[in-house]
Amino acid sequence: MTHIMISSKKCTGCHMCEYACSAQHEGAYRPSTARLFADVNPTTAEIKGHTCLQTACAKCQAACPEGAIVTKNITVTISGEFAGKRKLGSTFQGAVLVVDEAKCAGCGLCYDVCPTAVIRAHPERNTAVKCDLCLGDPQCIAFCQNPYVLAVDIKASRADAAVVLGGA
Amino acid sequence: MDFYQGRVLRIDLTEGSVMVEPLNMEWARQYIGGKGLLFRYLLDEVPPGVAPLSEENPLMLFTGPFAGTGVTTCSRLVVGCKSPATGTILDSYVGGSFAPELKFAGYDALILTGHAAHPTLVWIENDAVELRSAHKYVGMGIAQLEETLRRDLDYNAKFMSNGPAGERLLPWACLSTDHYHKAGRGGAGALMGSKNVKAIAVRGTGAVSVGDAKAFLADLRRIHKDYILTPANLWAHEEGTLALVDMVQVAGAMPTRNWSQGQFEGNDSINSRAYMKMRLKKRACSQCALGCRNFHVFGEARGEGPEFETVAICGANCGIGDAETLFRFNLACDDLGMDTISTGGVVAQAMDMTERGIHDFGMRFGDAEGYLAAPELIARREGIGADLALGARELAAKYGHPEIAMQVKNLELPGYDPRGTFGMSLAYATADRGGCHQRSYVQADEILGGSLPPDSLDGKAAVNIHWQNFTSIKYAGIWCEFWALELDEMRQLLRHVWDSDFSDDELLRIGERAWNLSRLFNVGQAVEADTVPARLVEASGAFSDGPSAGRYIGADRFARGLAEYYQLRGWDASGTPTEAKLDQLGIDARV
Repeated sequence: MTHIMISSKKCTGCHMCEYACSAQHEGAYRPSTARLFADVNPTTAEIKGHTCLQTACAKCQAACPEGAIVTKNITVTISGEFAGKRKLGSTFQGAVLVVDEAKCAGCGLCYDVCPTAVIRAHPERNTAVKCDLCLGDPQCIAFCQNPYVLAVDIKASRADAAVVLGGA
Repeated sequence: MDFYQGRVLRIDLTEGSVMVEPLNMEWARQYIGGKGLLFRYLLDEVPPGVAPLSEENPLMLFTGPFAGTGVTTCSRLVVGCKSPATGTILDSYVGGSFAPELKFAGYDALILTGHAAHPTLVWIENDAVELRSAHKYVGMGIAQLEETLRRDLDYNAKFMSNGPAGERLLPWACLSTDHYHKAGRGGAGALMGSKNVKAIAVRGTGAVSVGDAKAFLADLRRIHKDYILTPANLWAHEEGTLALVDMVQVAGAMPTRNWSQGQFEGNDSINSRAYMKMRLKKRACSQCALGCRNFHVFGEARGEGPEFETVAICGANCGIGDAETLFRFNLACDDLGMDTISTGGVVAQAMDMTERGIHDFGMRFGDAEGYLAAPELIARREGIGADLALGARELAAKYGHPEIAMQVKNLELPGYDPRGTFGMSLAYATADRGGCHQRSYVQADEILGGSLPPDSLDGKAAVNIHWQNFTSIKYAGIWCEFWALELDEMRQLLRHVWDSDFSDDELLRIGERAWNLSRLFNVGQAVEADTVPARLVEASGAFSDGPSAGRYIGADRFARGLAEYYQLRGWDASGTPTEAKLDQLGIDARV
């Protein structure tokens, strides 16, 4: 279990994580394609973060008839600050679910089962896209570095890390 | 081209037609974006002598090259037209998330011309642009309007909308986005109201390209660390503009009881500390790592604000020393869509006129009941509101006391009293859109941490000119006031946009060019002379107590300062740019 979380309490609603995410994955700023997002109601200041829970959820993986959503082991290295750093350190092992676009048929079954609505159709390619923690250097965290905010956080469990290290 | 979409969306409301035209890239190179680019379009399209509320006055919304990218604070939008309040050129800035959304929809700018026959909603969904009936939205306040539009159109759509004040053409009606964010000054809302447009909604799902995105991200991470998330900027997050309240109070420059004192004895009840106790959370504009906005909770009343200007003009200046009362007044103005500086200025003046026995408006300084009822009455022009909606200057003239109105070019003055910070007298007098504090931050040099003497005009013409040129390039970005960036950081960012390295002089030249355009525009529109209210400069207006007691600029010294300003600007004695200056700046337009 290694995944991104957005603290609704701390988040200021700047969407900087979505900007960075889209630039990293799409080669241009396009927040409508971001792999995570924050719903913001300006009037009430209510904010709800939407992020992929990766292997801790894995409903998309179970639903995929093509076996296109695969578990990938990664090494996460974060140069900036984040709330979970004290527990996890700057570098640790984890696992994420990634879309094998060669196998994905774009059927959309995964969109329907995702509880946080973060696996979505790419607007041009007929495939699903989702968070892959930038394969180890998540830009959403790199751009949520206001020391008073640090709303984008990472969660990981030792158990998961152990499995990964064991070569699962 | 990267950063720019290269497209302007032009909507003729009279014809009901929609056109996309290429952005003038030659002008974009000359002015970058935002302020200067807007001014170049305005100068081209607003005929001399046009009535501000006629259909010949276009309403323009411009972005900067960095809107829709990760460059902090550059989500700002500038709204422009010939101002319904002042008759000058108008550039009114607003944060929130409208500008990025407009870019993602594929446009650098939106220009509305003509006049719609029926209340209209402009709905822009990428390439699809629709003019819909807005009958069902007429009369709605901003909160209800945004909520309804989100439901009717798209949860992720962004809005630039008019409240009841704009529908009734209040000269200081503002445009609102993300509920609490206002293109506040100068009455763009009145123009949109006269065009019969209730709201502009936009949803964009496209991209803004920046060349090599990964290299750009890497450079931005560096810029964030070295230049943004530093103590020089993080005050904006810790406190926000409320940090200014105590500083202005201590300097004796806090407009109090319609500018009759420079300090307010109730200051401690409406300063940053007072509001911090009621803060629920911090809020940010789109693409801003600073997040300066404060969301407050007072019982069932919840919302953002007030900001410093509102505290000064609607608080101290109205004798209101209660945080909740002031907060509720601010919320009312926000929902009605009216600028708080002008509203507070007019209300303070009505209180003053009542106290002095000039006319009884039924409210005195510090009277919460009359004060809280005022915004709604003004927006609807009911009761005393019919009189107050005239604005400070016309209201004072109507009752035979023009000297009581604190305005420049019919724009009610903001929260820095020049008797406590002399340089601001020239700043107000020469500001392109009338009595405005956001063109020259000479007060920063005088009372907000700087070391220039606040009680002298010596050398202040040059200081004002530097600030005006500097903010003019800053508002091209469009960078926010609250990022204290230098020319060097601007250059580092602009290097990604244009394949050249701007020198400091070149950047300031771009700002100077924009400033001269605004002067050309104002001369062409026969705008009134540059001056400030007499009591801010004459000996008889000096305060009798407080830190700035006994100080006055003097009419002669003010006149000399203004003459020096024109001379240093390369303008003639009447304040008109000379041919030589325009040629030097490469400005092809003429009056």
